[in-house]
Amino acid sequence: MKEMMKMMIVLSLICGIAGITLAALKQVTAPIIEEQVLTYVQAPAIQSVLSDYDNDPIKDRRKFEVDGRTVIVFPALKDGRLIGLAFETSGKGYGGNIGVMVGFDVDAATLTGIGITTLKETPGLGARVAEHGYTTQFRGHSLDSVDLKKNGGDIEAVAGATISSNGTVSAVREAIAIFNALKGKLAGGWS
Amino acid sequence: MNRLWKEFSKGLWKDLPPFKLVLGLCPVLAVTNTANNGLGMGMAVVFVLTLSNLMVSLLRKIIPAKVRIACFIVVAASLVVAVELLMQAFAYPLYQQLGIFVPLIVVNCIILGRAEAFASKNPPLLSMADGLGMGLGFTMSLTFLGALRELLGTGMVFGVNVAWEGFQPIGIMVKAPGAFVSLGVLLAIMTFVENVRRKRRGLAAVQGPTHDCGSCGGCGQKNC
Repeated sequence: MKEMMKMMIVLSLICGIAGITLAALKQVTAPIIEEQVLTYVQAPAIQSVLSDYDNDPIKDRRKFEVDGRTVIVFPALKDGRLIGLAFETSGKGYGGNIGVMVGFDVDAATLTGIGITTLKETPGLGARVAEHGYTTQFRGHSLDSVDLKKNGGDIEAVAGATISSNGTVSAVREAIAIFNALKGKLAGGWS
Repeated sequence: MNRLWKEFSKGLWKDLPPFKLVLGLCPVLAVTNTANNGLGMGMAVVFVLTLSNLMVSLLRKIIPAKVRIACFIVVAASLVVAVELLMQAFAYPLYQQLGIFVPLIVVNCIILGRAEAFASKNPPLLSMADGLGMGLGFTMSLTFLGALRELLGTGMVFGVNVAWEGFQPIGIMVKAPGAFVSLGVLLAIMTFVENVRRKRRGLAAVQGPTHDCGSCGGCGQKNC
């Protein structure tokens, strides 16, 4: 009995101390990690979907509340005027969520392109949604009828990867809904 | 002092973890496609191994024997999570490269092996020396293997081009099969060197694993 108690107490103590230490460390590193993720994961995607801007979209990012969720929006400004914006949404893929950075042209109200940020799909099959041929279909696309061909839209799915294609398309559709909700808030420009 | 050096230096050649003990092969095979990755992984292991040896050694008198493995794992896992967080915060590209293999340091048998075989029976200073030596040996091996594969596979070492003009890179060396091929060749060379040394001293050659009929049932070999 005494041995049992000792085992329980020692193990609980060790686990407790480990837990507290890690929680503290996590809190300290969280802002730094967020910064790193922005620079190394989102920056390349933003650069691929936005163009012709003269600001730093990452530095000028702002948070918006849309339908009860927080969206971090990266703006593309030219001479101080908002010409485009990008933000990340995600859709359900085959191997977890697919993160998609979706870019919008504010004046023309079209997509400027999509960039994949998080991808855990099968290499050679689902992972091909990150490839040029698939993603370029969204460049300059209107905000309507973004859907796979078999559902009546005009996006060609990656052969053999319907789930992954669906995931990206649903992420883009979600982004369009958010964009439409954001439009009103952005009428006054970006400041 | 003498003892300290002995425990430290054994990890550098005599018990060199991947090549002599043939332990911790998962990262050895998986992340050594470049010298840089090997070095980064090795440094993470040095950090975890040294500190886990220290912690286990400090706690060795209060850890009850029956739950010692659980305690060792908690210590190792916490240190690995710490490394993962620090790596994400200060070396994100390396973290992207190593990916899933960082959390997998927890189940690297070197960590648990040294805790069980050494740190749980020895005082803190010796245990740290042991962890540091083993970790550095591991780092050396990984960096060497990484450099070798990177050189043969891309003509570069640490991302610097060192190949002569007209060098044809062997692409397979930086892919998974290259890991097995180069590890196998290295192990063969190490055994050969060891055998030459033994012969000079008049000892018998290193014995490979022998076919043991006692532990297998019906493997189909005729002499069983």
